Amino acid sequence: MATAHHDEHPTGVLRWLTTTNHKDIGTLYLVFALIMLFVGGAMALVIRAELFQPGLQIVQPHFFNQMTTLHALVMIFGAVMPAFTGFANWQIPLMIGAPDMALPRLNNWSFWLLPFAFTLLLSSLFVPGGGPAGGWTLYPPLSVQGSMGTDFTILAIHMMGISSVLGAINVIATILNMRAPGMVLLKMPLFVWTWLITAFLLLAVMPVLAGAVTMLLTDRHFGTHFFDASGGGDPVMFQHVFWFFGHPEVYILILPAFGIASQIIPTFARKPLFGYESMVYATASIAFLSFIVWAHHMFTVGMPLAGELFFMYATMMIAVPTGVKVFNWVATMWKGSLSFETPMLFAIAFVMLFTIGGFSGLMLAIVPADFQYHDTYFVVAHFHYVLVSGAIFAIIAGAYYWLPKWTGHMYNETLGKWHFWLSVIGFNLTFFPQHFLGLAGMPRRIPDYALQFTEFNQWSTVGAFMFGFSQLLFVAVVVKAARGGKKAGARAWEGAEGLEWTVPSPAPYHTFVTPPHIK
Amino acid sequence: MRTTKLPESQQRAVLRTALWLAAVACALFVYTLWRGMK
Repeated sequence: MATAHHDEHPTGVLRWLTTTNHKDIGTLYLVFALIMLFVGGAMALVIRAELFQPGLQIVQPHFFNQMTTLHALVMIFGAVMPAFTGFANWQIPLMIGAPDMALPRLNNWSFWLLPFAFTLLLSSLFVPGGGPAGGWTLYPPLSVQGSMGTDFTILAIHMMGISSVLGAINVIATILNMRAPGMVLLKMPLFVWTWLITAFLLLAVMPVLAGAVTMLLTDRHFGTHFFDASGGGDPVMFQHVFWFFGHPEVYILILPAFGIASQIIPTFARKPLFGYESMVYATASIAFLSFIVWAHHMFTVGMPLAGELFFMYATMMIAVPTGVKVFNWVATMWKGSLSFETPMLFAIAFVMLFTIGGFSGLMLAIVPADFQYHDTYFVVAHFHYVLVSGAIFAIIAGAYYWLPKWTGHMYNETLGKWHFWLSVIGFNLTFFPQHFLGLAGMPRRIPDYALQFTEFNQWSTVGAFMFGFSQLLFVAVVVKAARGGKKAGARAWEGAEGLEWTVPSPAPYHTFVTPPHIK
Repeated sequence: MRTTKLPESQQRAVLRTALWLAAVACALFVYTLWRGMK
């Protein structure tokens, strides 16, 4: 292999603008995701502040609707997806023994599309009529009637979609072509497996979302009637197309989290992962099933009974491979030599709380029950258990786990534990009462509510502020570790296995220039 | 800055994979619009 290795690179802003190094790009993604977490979090706190009391106190209803819409878009496309792509960039080449991602220049472009996409999305708040306000699902007719901000959103979604598809192509090309000799597919770390499957999901569904929002755009400006019943179109078709993207999207947001948990739990249980192959097959099964369950999001639109039954049973089947995963994580811990450093605490919280979200998902899958729960706070509670204590807790766990490898320093464990306990208590205080609100009939996406819902809403708001502000501790931990602290060894954790722990900490700018040989 | 040049055959394999995947993504986008028009 021809190599000409030198570590020189431009300094300052130019380094970050022009970099093609997977570690630099991983860092860019992670920092971007952290910023977006706070932007989306601030919107969540506006929502929770307004809902502290019944009546209208702080914001106008139209602005409230913009907050609910943008909070979701920012968190999904700006925080969770870029965070996982950041992990992919940092870890996949290190885990498979590759010198970099397969397409480094494309990698740079994939990232740099994002700041422009989100500038466009967030600037919609300042145009006449404000930002998108019809919910992140962009259902017509509201999204067809919305202000210019909706056009900004559509174009921003196109940019994010291109970024995601290019990122997915890069991940697949890397994993299929750049593995070190001897690293056969069934020797790959679980995180790499989950990302490979996620990348295929991204590739399959982001173009569908792009198609859906393109049709919205032409309905808005070019006289088409894809979703306009008065012109022969069908607004329900948008829901079908959107959720054909939307349900696999949920798994795009959670499969890499499964991968992170599957790396962390064996390390701190000091045992190999229980049922490695079944984990791979379960991940693939979940990905397959995610394509045939989309209409469970729209049971109340009036589908034929046979359709409702099909989507109900198909949805319930997802519990089987998911159950396999939860069983395997618990079995990995069983009789392990456990220790409870911060990454492990977040990973255990992930397993427990994600499972609660999974169970409420099963409740929602039951058609007659869903007629009661649909569009209530029960749904809000359900998907926050899956996406906050699922995806975001796993992201935080992964950040603590690999921080010593990235920075070369151990983080402050005391601060980490404070961050964990404040987060876990704040999170549950925020979202557990929302189950009861939903069961009692409180609708989602409203700025005002009936008096009987007040007390649970107040608990929820207190929890949200606690959870939100405790994330500042996370920033403090990361900044402290980046600036100094106890030196981390190559294998920062006693029980850690895998190629990334064979290179020094911090990982050198270039690694595996000569591929390692895997036995 | 990229410092490792991959062997020619690996470069071709990477490009082939990427182009196939890009073609699939474009086809899915067009198919979605085509289904919408039916």
